[in-house]
Amino acid sequence: MARKWTRYPKKAFYAFTAPWAIGFILLTALPLVYGFLVSLTNFDGSSPRWKWVGLRNYVELMSDGDAWAALVRTLGFAALVVPLSVAGSLGLAVIINRRLIAVGLWRTVFFLPSVVPVVAMAIMWKLVFNKDAGILNVTLRALGLDSVGWLVDPTVFWALVVVMLWGLGGGMVIMLAALQGVPPELEEAAIVDGAGKWSVFRHVTVPMISPIIFFQGITGVIVALQVLVQPLLLTNATGLTGVGTVPQSNRLYMIEVYQEFFLNNRFGYGSAMLWVYFLAILGLTLVLLKTTRSFVYYEVDTDPAPKEAAR
Amino acid sequence: MTSTLPAEPLTAEKVTSNPARTVRRGRRPGWIYILILALTAFFIGPFIWLVLAALKTPGEWTSVQINILPAAAQWNNFVEALTEMDFTAYTMNSLFLATIYSVLITLSSAVVGFGFARLRAPGKKAMFVVLMSTMMLPNILTLLPTYVMFSQVGLINTYWPWVLWGLATSPFMVFLFRQFFTTLPRELEDAAIIDGAGWGRIFFSIFLPLSRPVLLTSFLLSFTWSWSDYIAPAIFLDLDRTTLAVAITAWYQDPAGNVIPTVQAAAAVLYILPVLLIFFVFQRYFIRSSVGSGIKG
Repeated sequence: MARKWTRYPKKAFYAFTAPWAIGFILLTALPLVYGFLVSLTNFDGSSPRWKWVGLRNYVELMSDGDAWAALVRTLGFAALVVPLSVAGSLGLAVIINRRLIAVGLWRTVFFLPSVVPVVAMAIMWKLVFNKDAGILNVTLRALGLDSVGWLVDPTVFWALVVVMLWGLGGGMVIMLAALQGVPPELEEAAIVDGAGKWSVFRHVTVPMISPIIFFQGITGVIVALQVLVQPLLLTNATGLTGVGTVPQSNRLYMIEVYQEFFLNNRFGYGSAMLWVYFLAILGLTLVLLKTTRSFVYYEVDTDPAPKEAAR
Repeated sequence: MTSTLPAEPLTAEKVTSNPARTVRRGRRPGWIYILILALTAFFIGPFIWLVLAALKTPGEWTSVQINILPAAAQWNNFVEALTEMDFTAYTMNSLFLATIYSVLITLSSAVVGFGFARLRAPGKKAMFVVLMSTMMLPNILTLLPTYVMFSQVGLINTYWPWVLWGLATSPFMVFLFRQFFTTLPRELEDAAIIDGAGWGRIFFSIFLPLSRPVLLTSFLLSFTWSWSDYIAPAIFLDLDRTTLAVAITAWYQDPAGNVIPTVQAAAAVLYILPVLLIFFVFQRYFIRSSVGSGIKG
């Protein structure tokens, strides 16, 4: 007993994990609490004459048409981008998992965009989507068609979706590792039993990697809900106040929050928007965790019910 | 799977015998290369278009006529990109912040990751759950209140936030280090414990040197994160102290205030070069870390 006590003194654990614990309290928990307090005021960021307004910001938010429209738009955006990127990265992984000529080269090519800084990504795609000189419109004109204004309402929304999907490669690498973790005996057994290629994929491979697909989906939702920089940088304006020029179709929820903070200087109202969003994301994540658990296959799961559903 | 050669002659016969048909079909690959070329155009096309734009005159870029290639490569765009704003100063800012941030976050995360992997105390499980949940917390939700908070204590337009973020560790890096340290055998520390060494010494003299690949991964990843970050420097720093990422979106305008796309493209090329260089040299570290993040175990 005494030896065990000396081997793992409690103090050592607390000392080693202190940087994270202190950082979590000061830079994650405190800002959240502070943000809540600010949301109960009419603070404007500079003037010292702010006062408590209670829940008035929240009441105003309930009837804020722009915020609700942005919320609906953001949910639509996530509902579109997340399935596309999960399916897309799985598709890329399936391609790369085959015996191909120069497979390493293709893997690099597909993965590369996911490490490109967002600023450079936006500059590149603005050049591609440019109305006069972009490669898309140059191609359209060469085919005798009319130019399309890609970066204006409503097509700019689709431009944003394309830009988001460009970084699929990060997910592909994860899916690829998952595919390579599926025991080949399982797929071979199914083939011997006469299953077609698609049904092997659908009924053996996909259920086996469902935890990874599910994890990618959840992270994808969280990422999609906090998208801010991409629509901000797809405008022609510069600087923080450029947020006012984001086209209507790209006014996602975080864009509205950002505008309240840095264009309208309504820190109190912006904080209220953030807090409502925080609770909404938290709730959504918990719901997703609960509902998907029933049809995701976990190797270590001893409960027979989910396994049955997975088959 | 193992025999590639007999597959081809067998194809014709196997098509008629139903069950085995699908096994062999994968050997006729033509369409997949067409698909791969289309995907390559999608993933690489924007890079090429960026470089071409960076080599054109403004006239060539905007002309109604179709000019895919510039008549003569305009290297002058790069000269303008370097001189129109103080490119060197902004690069130094980016470099300074990225270095401070990544060195601090790597060391602090190694320490915390070691704690979670090898040490025990009441509350460890709960703390680990909190750590893993913060990995799911959208950054932007804490970033904006942090801005308001820091503006109250005069930390805006200083580099201190990056030092604090570095010291505070990143849940992702902690997880990476924890996974590594858990795999090492207990015997490593036994001799040192018998000799009376404390955990601090055990960590610094035995475990930290062993974790070199994870240290490198963590350093490279956090360095490129910081180099690529737009939103934090845009919010926390004024234009004269900001990073290259923000500067290249804010400068390169003609007198009317419109961005000069060719010069901005040249600046963007210069800005992504270090990232691409790091990526090509250390590609496997990037891949390994994103795989580690996706597969929890």
